[in-house]
Amino acid sequence: MRLRGIIGGGGGGGSSRGGATDVGQRRREQVEPGRAAGNGLPDAARSDMALSVRNLSTVFEDGQRTVHAVRDVSFDMRPTERLGVVGESGSGKSALALSILGLIEPPGRVVGGEIHLGGREISKLSDRALGAIRGKDIALVLQDPMSALDPVKTIGAQVIEAIAAHNPEMRRGAARRRAAELLREVDIPQPERRLDDYPHQYSGGMRQRVAIAMAIANNPSVLIADEPTTALDVTTQSQVLALLDRLVEQHGTAVILITHNLGIVSDFCDSIAVMYAGRFVETSGVDHIFLEPTHPYSEALLKCVPNPERLADGPLPAISGFPPDLAQLPQGCAFQPRCPVGREIPECRRQPPRPHEVRGAAGAAIVECHFAEQRIKEVKV
Amino acid sequence: MGAVVAKRVLGSIGAIFGATVLAFIIMRALPGNPARLIVGPLATPHAVASVSHEIGLDKPVLTQYWLYISHFFQGDWGYSYADGKSVKALIGERLPATIELAIFSFALTMICAVVAALLVTYRQRPVADRILRGVAYVGFGTPPFFVALLLLIVFFRSFHVLPGPEGRLGLQAAPPPTVTHMYTLDALIAGQFSTFWSSFVHLLLPAIALGLSSFSFIVRLLRANLLEVSREPFLTVARGKGLRRWTAFRRHALPNAFLPTLTAGGLVLGEFLAGSVLIERVFNWPGIGSLVFDAIVKQDYAIVQTFILLSAVIFVLVNLVVDLLYAVIDPRVRIPSVATA
Repeated sequence: MRLRGIIGGGGGGGSSRGGATDVGQRRREQVEPGRAAGNGLPDAARSDMALSVRNLSTVFEDGQRTVHAVRDVSFDMRPTERLGVVGESGSGKSALALSILGLIEPPGRVVGGEIHLGGREISKLSDRALGAIRGKDIALVLQDPMSALDPVKTIGAQVIEAIAAHNPEMRRGAARRRAAELLREVDIPQPERRLDDYPHQYSGGMRQRVAIAMAIANNPSVLIADEPTTALDVTTQSQVLALLDRLVEQHGTAVILITHNLGIVSDFCDSIAVMYAGRFVETSGVDHIFLEPTHPYSEALLKCVPNPERLADGPLPAISGFPPDLAQLPQGCAFQPRCPVGREIPECRRQPPRPHEVRGAAGAAIVECHFAEQRIKEVKV
Repeated sequence: MGAVVAKRVLGSIGAIFGATVLAFIIMRALPGNPARLIVGPLATPHAVASVSHEIGLDKPVLTQYWLYISHFFQGDWGYSYADGKSVKALIGERLPATIELAIFSFALTMICAVVAALLVTYRQRPVADRILRGVAYVGFGTPPFFVALLLLIVFFRSFHVLPGPEGRLGLQAAPPPTVTHMYTLDALIAGQFSTFWSSFVHLLLPAIALGLSSFSFIVRLLRANLLEVSREPFLTVARGKGLRRWTAFRRHALPNAFLPTLTAGGLVLGEFLAGSVLIERVFNWPGIGSLVFDAIVKQDYAIVQTFILLSAVIFVLVNLVVDLLYAVIDPRVRIPSVATA
């Protein structure tokens, strides 16, 4: 989709930006390489961010067990930045998305952290106050287009609902025209007529376009897309991604793209966060991950991506073992039991790694590994 | 939509036809000669033959069937052999009591089931959930007549808070002027509030006894559906648009969760409208159930066969309405999907 030059991204904490060569000057101008990363931005700098998350933690409690779905996650996103969050199923990606939106339902609970949206702290807001923000400043696109739309309401009613939620004074006719306009924007043919259709009369790709139309209805500054293409076939996937690419470009929206598809991240995102057992274990510009995956888990993930050049090497490797039980996390590094580097090392078993800032050939990264500094010199893919 | 209506109506006609055939065959297969029953055990064979001829028992079976259904649909339901009154008048006298009890019990059942299911799903009350599941478990398994007796023992005999088995009204109250045949409504129309209250409290225990097992069934169904639907992504999407929790739940979870309940509700209402013999006996309720009970005891052929057909027709019609409502609410029923279009 886009060529990617190896222009050094900025620091970690998601603030880096790879060189996206065909997206035009406007975006490139905003690149500020070498920005100090992550966890200690001053407040003034934070208010420049579209989204700034600090030490966000979410648990699910069912009486006996406490599942730590999101553990102490921090990152910053500048306006129009695109952050890819990758990880296995059950690594806490979706819980992170819902936590940011304040949509964690009992027995889940956000237990700590701050969320600044456009400089405004939103994590302590009431549900009513958050309702005024959701869908307007920050919007959501979900994984499965089959179940993301209410089967008994027309497409029009559901798009209009997204518009009307933040424009209560808008007349019905005007909202309907706006809804048709949105459908046209996401390339639905004959939008006026198709407003009165029901979801089951739309194809999967069209439903996902409708989901995107609803999300961009009020021009949000941040869009969280939770596996927006996973349920689609490959052709439709690339169409939907191209559409999303065009729209967020036009509207200047920052995007968190949650996926387990590294290929999509390399095409679509500027920065990447690798999530494992509820934590961001490696955060960097997108080029860094593909050239110098520093965390052993990032490296292992990358080796699992099918690559025609490697066909001769035999079957794809799999990461041995299973993700840890989020209710009974190991004392040290969560990846240690599966880690090719740290499996036998007592330090890894006993001591949770703190975030290390490292700098490699393709930019800086924040890596939660005891061997981060050592590994950045060794790794060759 | 037109195709759906036509299909459902044809299906209903078929079901009613099946019911008439079945009722006809069962009535003929029962032991005992109706003509002998009418004229009595001491009558001469000549008298029996003459009555047989009169009620058409000597005609060919197909002719008998034709007479049977044509008379039924013309409203010519014959005369009770026991006391000579017209069956139409007898049923017309009793049906309103059954309908009033059925509608009241149905409304009570549905309202309680919806409120209880919302309490434990939308409100997420774990203790209430456990209690409700217990009640539903016991309520589903206990025979209604036994529930009726228990209710009478507790609320009438022990605590004297509700009237005993004395029918639709207290002894002092006179029936209100007839408009709808429903005592509660007629009393309100006539402005007789004491009569309204009397008929209302007389309805309570029979309605609870009649409705408890259906309540248990529906509340479990609704609870399960609501829990399932509230996990649907489209609810998260609706919340993501900025809708309040209740708004999203009301607009998107409730309609979807109600769909299966609608079918169940139709079955329940149809069953209630056909009258419950045992409940009506226990509460001395002058409804169609007790009429049929007496008719069976007296082998009053004309009443029983009319009742069988009437209840079949009511049941089929209620379910026809439910099917059509279903098509109105669920677009997937009336509009083909992309895959098949």
